[in-house]
Amino acid sequence: MSHIPPHSDAPQASRRDFLRRGGALSLGVTLPAWGMNLAAMAASADAAAAVSNTGDGYKALVCIFLQGGNDHANTVVPVDATGHALYARLRGGLATPRAQLLPLSPLTSAPAVAGLGTGQLALSPALPQLERLFNTERRLAVLLNIGPLRQPTTLAQFRARSVALPPKLFSHNDQQSVWQSHAAEGSTVGWGGVIGDQGLLLNRAAQATESLSCVNLAGNTVYPAGQRAGQFMVNALGPDRLLALQPANMLGSQDCVDAFKALVGTQEPAVHRLAKEHSAIMRRAMDTNAVLLDKLSAITEPAERAQPSGNPLADQLRTAARIMAAHRSLGAAGTAGAGLRRQVFFVSLGGFDLHDNLSGQHPLLLAQLDAALAQLDADLDVLQMRDQVTAFTASDFGRTLSSNGDGSDHGWGAHHFVMGGAVQGGRFWGDWPEVTDHDSGAQNIGQGRLLPTMAVDHLAEALARWMGVTDADALSRIAPHRAAFAANSPLTGLMSG
Amino acid sequence: MEHQREQSGGDLGEAHASVAWSAAAVAASVATLSGCGGGGGDAGKAPTSAPTDDPQVLAGATTLLPEEDAARFLGQAALSAPMAEVTRLVNAGLNYNAWLDEQFAKPARTDTASALNGRTAYQLALDQGVLALDASGQNYAHIGGDFGLDSALWFRLITADDVLRQRIVLALSEIFVVSQRNMPIPWGHMACLAYWDLLERHCFGTFRELIEAITLSPAMGTYLSLRGSKRADAGGRRPDENFARELLQLFTIGLVRLDDGGQPAGGETYGIQDVTELARALTGWDFDRPMPPSYTLGTLPDYTRRPMTLVADRHDDDAKFLPSLNLSLPAGAGGAQDLRAALDGICAHPNVAPFFARQLIQRLVSSNPEPVHVQRVTRVFRDTGGDLKAVIRAVLMDPLARRSLSGTASVRRSKLREPMLRFVQWGRLVQLRSTDNRWSVGDLSASDRLGQSPMRSPSVFNFFRPGYVPLNSGVSADGFVAPEFQITNESTVIGYANFMLSHIAGAPQQGLVVDYSEWLPLATDPAKLVDRLNLQLTGRALAAASVDTITRAVRSLPATSAEQQLRRVQMAFYLMLVSPDYLVQR
Repeated sequence: MSHIPPHSDAPQASRRDFLRRGGALSLGVTLPAWGMNLAAMAASADAAAAVSNTGDGYKALVCIFLQGGNDHANTVVPVDATGHALYARLRGGLATPRAQLLPLSPLTSAPAVAGLGTGQLALSPALPQLERLFNTERRLAVLLNIGPLRQPTTLAQFRARSVALPPKLFSHNDQQSVWQSHAAEGSTVGWGGVIGDQGLLLNRAAQATESLSCVNLAGNTVYPAGQRAGQFMVNALGPDRLLALQPANMLGSQDCVDAFKALVGTQEPAVHRLAKEHSAIMRRAMDTNAVLLDKLSAITEPAERAQPSGNPLADQLRTAARIMAAHRSLGAAGTAGAGLRRQVFFVSLGGFDLHDNLSGQHPLLLAQLDAALAQLDADLDVLQMRDQVTAFTASDFGRTLSSNGDGSDHGWGAHHFVMGGAVQGGRFWGDWPEVTDHDSGAQNIGQGRLLPTMAVDHLAEALARWMGVTDADALSRIAPHRAAFAANSPLTGLMSG
Repeated sequence: MEHQREQSGGDLGEAHASVAWSAAAVAASVATLSGCGGGGGDAGKAPTSAPTDDPQVLAGATTLLPEEDAARFLGQAALSAPMAEVTRLVNAGLNYNAWLDEQFAKPARTDTASALNGRTAYQLALDQGVLALDASGQNYAHIGGDFGLDSALWFRLITADDVLRQRIVLALSEIFVVSQRNMPIPWGHMACLAYWDLLERHCFGTFRELIEAITLSPAMGTYLSLRGSKRADAGGRRPDENFARELLQLFTIGLVRLDDGGQPAGGETYGIQDVTELARALTGWDFDRPMPPSYTLGTLPDYTRRPMTLVADRHDDDAKFLPSLNLSLPAGAGGAQDLRAALDGICAHPNVAPFFARQLIQRLVSSNPEPVHVQRVTRVFRDTGGDLKAVIRAVLMDPLARRSLSGTASVRRSKLREPMLRFVQWGRLVQLRSTDNRWSVGDLSASDRLGQSPMRSPSVFNFFRPGYVPLNSGVSADGFVAPEFQITNESTVIGYANFMLSHIAGAPQQGLVVDYSEWLPLATDPAKLVDRLNLQLTGRALAAASVDTITRAVRSLPATSAEQQLRRVQMAFYLMLVSPDYLVQR
């Protein structure tokens, strides 16, 4: 944990954004010369609309899971005098000095944030790229106080346990599972996977490599597991070739290569259940890796990384972007299909469980998040796919506002980010939580742990609808508690298009 | 006589006539695999094959030959099945109790033993030069980093003769997890080695003593941040809850009430108040040093092997009450007494025995322990006051671990071998040795290697959870779990296959050599060679079709020169080590 290098400078904002931000061309401004190249590169005939969109209808969702429970209180921080004074008093030695924070200036057209009054919010000083994406590019939205909920819950109801609560609050593995699948550890289908299942139908209809409907670049987890769409694991730096498939690696013996394939991919009926499962994984690996390696070899931008960069999240997101870049070529062998229509990606960054050494470690981790998200945004710009990809952060839970000396402990509600060209960014979504003292405030369940006022279901539903999910049964599994909340989601309008 | 066919360029995994990998079959199988669970069930439905559909169920109980029985026992209790040990067990009438007695009696390690393998892991790192001088001429060249950690542990696992102890210590290191991946203190790697030594010292003692030793270890104190935790102050600082929570959730009683068979019995074991009160009770502990350890001000590693000590004025000495455990800790008792009373109260909880027993069975015998097996081990745990020798014996000698089984029971008594144990099993059989004594095996936890390495778990939840259910598969029919599948996915299966292939002949450039001479005499008789490996690696559990496939492949290789014969042996090993039939321990 102690050797995370500082993040590299993020790429400059693309000149192409000039067009998009400006909307219609201003009078007297000449279209830059590269506008001609844009039209040529864009799949769609409508060059103006195709600036950040290849126009082929592909969409991808990226879940960025911050493992361990991100300290939300030092991520999105009050920066007005009164708000910061309260935060600093309650946080003690963990508080970030006011002068270091990066103030956020939401769109003037954005509605006021309930509970914030005249307060102003800022980002951790470790998040300068996200500050730019919020304030300038308007491609970043901030969700306030979101967490798992079964129904609207007041403090009194929580204390009395008089309403249904999410299972096993404050337990890492269970809350990771609850965020990802609405159920405690042991669940086998995540809401990302349910979205992936719907996407798989589109991919299948397009005769695309549907085994890549859900791609996991981190480690086995339930989020991208559907009932039809299995998560396909890819190494952070890209898929590896299986050495034993080359006779040169097997003593020059094709017979040994054949024996290897027969053994590892056995479909003998009288095989032990666990052996059968292992074989199934190996067959998937052999089949899909071959296709993926082939198609990725043709992708020069964004470039493949040969070595880890020191930022594991950035490595995973680079490979994700390369797979997105290849989406059009990932059709079934022998067909001229339009390629993949929908993909769900899972990536993660670890180390957020900062019970100690928070002041030292947290900025380093946030810096990695900052650099990785900026890199994704820049890669998507090169691919002209910003409008087609939405990334969001998630975590086990938020943390206490109170300090334990040099860290914070497990919480519940937290603030999170959503980034993408289709996101109504540059504004806050949700309500600012009320915390008035260590153990008081309408959203304070103790030590500044937050009682959420926005449910994960709301985010899941908004993202699913953007991905084009309309099937009522699927939506009820993506957002199973939706009906318990008001008809108007706090995230209505989060996504456009 | 070389039998070669040209492989056309760049077509990994492409169609080949001799196996059903035609392009059409690939497309069809891709659609099928994506459309259902592991074995061809209905699209969109979780597979629910009833037990009687399982082909394994149809086979009757088979009695094993003594040598097969011995190899199978060693597969659960030891780290490999050398022929000498198999023969010894057979000649002793398969007296496993006597074998256990021998193993329990193996001497503890010291810093000063003359044989390297008698030395503590901590001392091995010192021997390796962990106190090398830095540029300023002081012993801090390796105060950070991980020098000596992997080499000491791999040396231990591959060459130690107290194989039961090592197997148990590895299992305990996966339950009471401490990991180099989050050890941000000076000499953190030495703290990890000291922790391994601590597990060696306590693995045959009592559960209560083990828990106390772990609680006060600098490694655990750092890993779960108990070290330095202080009582609350007026400025809002609260005690650190990390260790208190994981002590309950992962090390002692778990989240849900269990019956004696380890099955959920309804209700939760503890709540948030128990955690905060326990955190208060455990305040005040810190490293046994006058000053905090420092990277820059001359700290040596010895503090990492001394139990933490109490700083009295950091301890919360008010009364505490843990409501779910009905545990009262009176005011004024002091930090040491509070810790003892807290651990006594927790260890007296009825959940402890089944919670621990079930996990130990999962590490050694089966991913899905039979409730009656857990029950019998639970009874022994309670009857002996948590005597770990008795518990280990109860796990391994239970009829459900030893006897031939049939039906669903035989399918249940199985587990996917941990990648670390596959590597160690192979390494021990082929006498993996380090010519330069540096044991440069390294950290093998990356997904393009083994996906696992000792004391390098990604989190306190180990490489895999006890309750993990493979996603999109038929494994979970009948409620089966398969923890080791949590690290088994499309990238790690390739990583393992590539890693073993790259290292089947050792890694001479890293000073790591292997010796296949034991099997060279069998190289000219492929059937005997494969049968021998089948016996040693699996107790002859490989399906006949797999035996046949491997034998034919080996036979297809030339065997005139000594070099060619060696290659035959290596190929036989490799094909077996990647066979799904080998990968499943039964």
